[in-house]
Amino acid sequence: MLIQALDTPRRAPSEVDYALLWSTLLLLFFGMVMVYSASIAIAEAGKFTGHQPAYYLVRHSIFLCIGIIAAAVAFQVPLAAWQQMAPWLFVTGVVLLIVVLIPGVGRDVNGARRWLPLGIANLQPSELMKLFVVLYAADYTVRKMAVMHNLKKAFAPMAGAMILVTVLLLKEPDFGAFVVIISIAIGILFLGGLRARYFAVLIVLLLAAFAVLIVVSPYRRDRIFGFMDPWADAFGRGYQLSHALIAFGRGELFGVGLGASVEKLFYLPEAHTDFLLAVIAEELGLVGVLIVVALFALIIQRAFVIGRQAVALERLYPALVAMGIGIWIGVQGFINMGVNMGLLPTKGLTLPLMSFGGSGILANCVALAILLRVDWENRQLMRGAKL
Amino acid sequence: MMRGKSGRTHKFAESPVLQLALPAWRSRLVAIFLLASFGLLVGRSFYLQVVNNDFLQEKGESRYRRDLEISASRGKVTDRNGEVLAISTPMKSIWAIPADAKLNAQQAQQLAKVLDADAKELARKLASDKGFVYLQRQVSPEVADRVAALKLPGIYQNKEYRRYYPTGDMSAHMVGFTGVDDKGLEGVELAFEKSLIGHAGSRSVIRDRRGQIVEDVGSIRPPQDGKDVRLALDSKIQYIAYSHLKQAVADNKAKAGGAVVIDAKSGEILALANWPTYNPNNREHLSGGQLRNRAVTDTFEPGSTLKPFTAALALENGKFRFDTAINTAPGRLTIGKATISDAHPHGVLTVAQVIQKSSNVGVAKMAATFSPQEMWEMFDAVGFGQTSRLGFPGEVPGRLRAWKSWRPIEQATMSYGHGISVSLMQLARAYTVFARDGELLPISLTRIDEGPVTGIPVFSPQTAREVRAMLEMAAGPGGTAPKAQVAGYRVAGKTGTAHKLEGGVYANKYVASFVGFAPASDPRLIVAVLIDEPSAGKHYGGDVAGPVFSAVMGSALRTLGVPPDAQMTIAQAPTLAPEAGSRIAQPRPVQAKEKL
Repeated sequence: MLIQALDTPRRAPSEVDYALLWSTLLLLFFGMVMVYSASIAIAEAGKFTGHQPAYYLVRHSIFLCIGIIAAAVAFQVPLAAWQQMAPWLFVTGVVLLIVVLIPGVGRDVNGARRWLPLGIANLQPSELMKLFVVLYAADYTVRKMAVMHNLKKAFAPMAGAMILVTVLLLKEPDFGAFVVIISIAIGILFLGGLRARYFAVLIVLLLAAFAVLIVVSPYRRDRIFGFMDPWADAFGRGYQLSHALIAFGRGELFGVGLGASVEKLFYLPEAHTDFLLAVIAEELGLVGVLIVVALFALIIQRAFVIGRQAVALERLYPALVAMGIGIWIGVQGFINMGVNMGLLPTKGLTLPLMSFGGSGILANCVALAILLRVDWENRQLMRGAKL
Repeated sequence: MMRGKSGRTHKFAESPVLQLALPAWRSRLVAIFLLASFGLLVGRSFYLQVVNNDFLQEKGESRYRRDLEISASRGKVTDRNGEVLAISTPMKSIWAIPADAKLNAQQAQQLAKVLDADAKELARKLASDKGFVYLQRQVSPEVADRVAALKLPGIYQNKEYRRYYPTGDMSAHMVGFTGVDDKGLEGVELAFEKSLIGHAGSRSVIRDRRGQIVEDVGSIRPPQDGKDVRLALDSKIQYIAYSHLKQAVADNKAKAGGAVVIDAKSGEILALANWPTYNPNNREHLSGGQLRNRAVTDTFEPGSTLKPFTAALALENGKFRFDTAINTAPGRLTIGKATISDAHPHGVLTVAQVIQKSSNVGVAKMAATFSPQEMWEMFDAVGFGQTSRLGFPGEVPGRLRAWKSWRPIEQATMSYGHGISVSLMQLARAYTVFARDGELLPISLTRIDEGPVTGIPVFSPQTAREVRAMLEMAAGPGGTAPKAQVAGYRVAGKTGTAHKLEGGVYANKYVASFVGFAPASDPRLIVAVLIDEPSAGKHYGGDVAGPVFSAVMGSALRTLGVPPDAQMTIAQAPTLAPEAGSRIAQPRPVQAKEKL
């Protein structure tokens, strides 16, 4: 019996998490289609695009190719190597964030200095910094695991690093990246076992700081008021959000049809980047939005499942990295979609894996490759193989 | 106690086993928190897209749905042969939404240059806080294309029409013109506004932010173009009337003039010309005098042109016959305190000769036999004191006082056309009773295609024929207007020379007129000519208006191909001896009677 059972040809367990892989590829492809749809009109009308309708599509496709190649390379790198590189990557990220602020080096767009011109494309250090913070915070937490109960030893150095990053990000300003990076850092520290009492204090402090920032900075206050009631000043502060909401309303259940959005015809600003979901909502309706939300939810669920498997395998660094990536995609996705729907004030955050933007796509692809690598390593270990 | 517990926790956390495992509840909490927030997104999305979608769609439509007018073109005005007198040509209007039209200095300059507009004025319009301003209307399609090529934000175009009048000043008073909003303001354009006007259609469209139409929503209401109006006017005859009138006004240094040509068979107005006139295509420096359609809107004391009506009533009453002798000597007649006089004393004249020589005394003696009421009824029956009901703007009824208030002297002066006022159009129409065996014809601005037109009988055919013969004598040698003769046609007509009334006093200014018809054997056309204040030496109707009548009548009859009924030689001599006139005058009525 036993021998018979052992001889039964078993289905070979898969080497990678196909659900995660396909969700990611689907979102990337869906994003490419929607970037094209959302940008076609502005690309055709724009002078700097040379009136080429496929201007953004071509660039986005190139970014996707670069991102997928980078992902393939990243997948080959063991988590142990990532852990070794983590502090250096973090330092690199900080240096890039400083460089971008140097006048004449960083590039200004709409009053924000977020980009480093690299000839054909621009590099956005804050996008890379999100990945570096995941890698570094996980490494930091694992190293400090023994002293997690000690506020001074466990939290103070990380807090110092985060304050530095915060100052640099708000200098740009890039409020959205600040929120995401702080969420990742705090999330990983929380997962790593930092005492719950500290979080209560931390959350209160963050809320207070947030309130102060909003009161002090009129630019952010404007965004807040626009979000509270976009119809009060629908042609001023509430302009962008009101058009995003109209796009949702027009979409109804099944949308007005792919390519048929009216909002993307110069009404809705940033339709192909921050407000891509509004175009999806208008063209593909509630169904389209639900598909996007479901795919993101699946990725987050997989990230935490993979993380827990790593914990079970006593691999703490990969576990924190996996869940850190889950937090990143989850927080950024929620904020972007929440902004699109008027749940949150306008931030200037892209939709991960979907929105137009080279640095974002590159960082997201590498992150997902690392997540797949964690899972792959888990599976190898579970089979008894050595890494 | 808390200290103690936390102290234990320290030790507990430091245990190597727990050090390795991350607390499961924490990752579960974070995952649940993230997924729950995604649930919030689903709920919000459902609210926006399924629950609150009507409100949002309404907001959207208010931003990019526009009801556009589809302009309808105004109907054409053509003459009786289809020649175009007024036509709408497509133009563009350039308008802006000032809030969207944020032009830089260079763009503003370019726009001003293309529109040939004042840059400051343009800037003022674009700075307006209105939602909509016209920058320029009635812009040619070429200029509009150049504006479009500038691709300026917030600057838009609409199709509109410009009215063009190919015949210009020649038929300006007849056709009239429209205002900038395509509504008739004068002439036929106003009179036939209801049929000419187009009814704009509408369509609802969704436009992108730059004003480009994305798609139609809802149903389209198609525009209804205006109907064409075919006038009775004959452009060739109009040209003839207009050019001769213009020449005569210039030659006689007159203040103004008018000429009307009516088809005696149908009552159609074949020509209506006035001087001074204007160019309807360029109305920049227009004065009221140029605008006045004098033949319809101005009345004058017709003078002797009214005498045939008195004679006709005399014949109709049976108290006079064609050859009844009336003593007009000594050329004066005193009624009450007033005295009527003839220009030249004539002695004894037949009724026919009274008309031929235009004797005031002779006509007054005939009129003395009428009751005021019957004379008033006759004037009323031929259309005096009432409008011609053409629908023309400013048509006047003229002045015909109620008969009860007539004094004998007034009745006498009215018999030869003083103390009564008419328009040239009324006068021309009244002459249909002589041109048509006693019937007064309704007159028409539009072409009449169906059957023969019947009028209202005023005089018996016998009377009409006899007066016609008298009028032929009047226009012939020995009459007052030998210059009204037309080669090849027998002409009948009557001169009028009236002093103008200024402030209730007869001034030393004249209105010279001539009304007549031809061919006398079978009248086809009625031509009425009026020259106001001729001041080049001549002022008699026969000298001033007669030649215009002759030229217009001759050319018009030949244009229409009306067969001649007389010798092709010009029967008139510049000056004829009165004896010769009376000698020729005698056999004519006989000839006329033979023909009856």
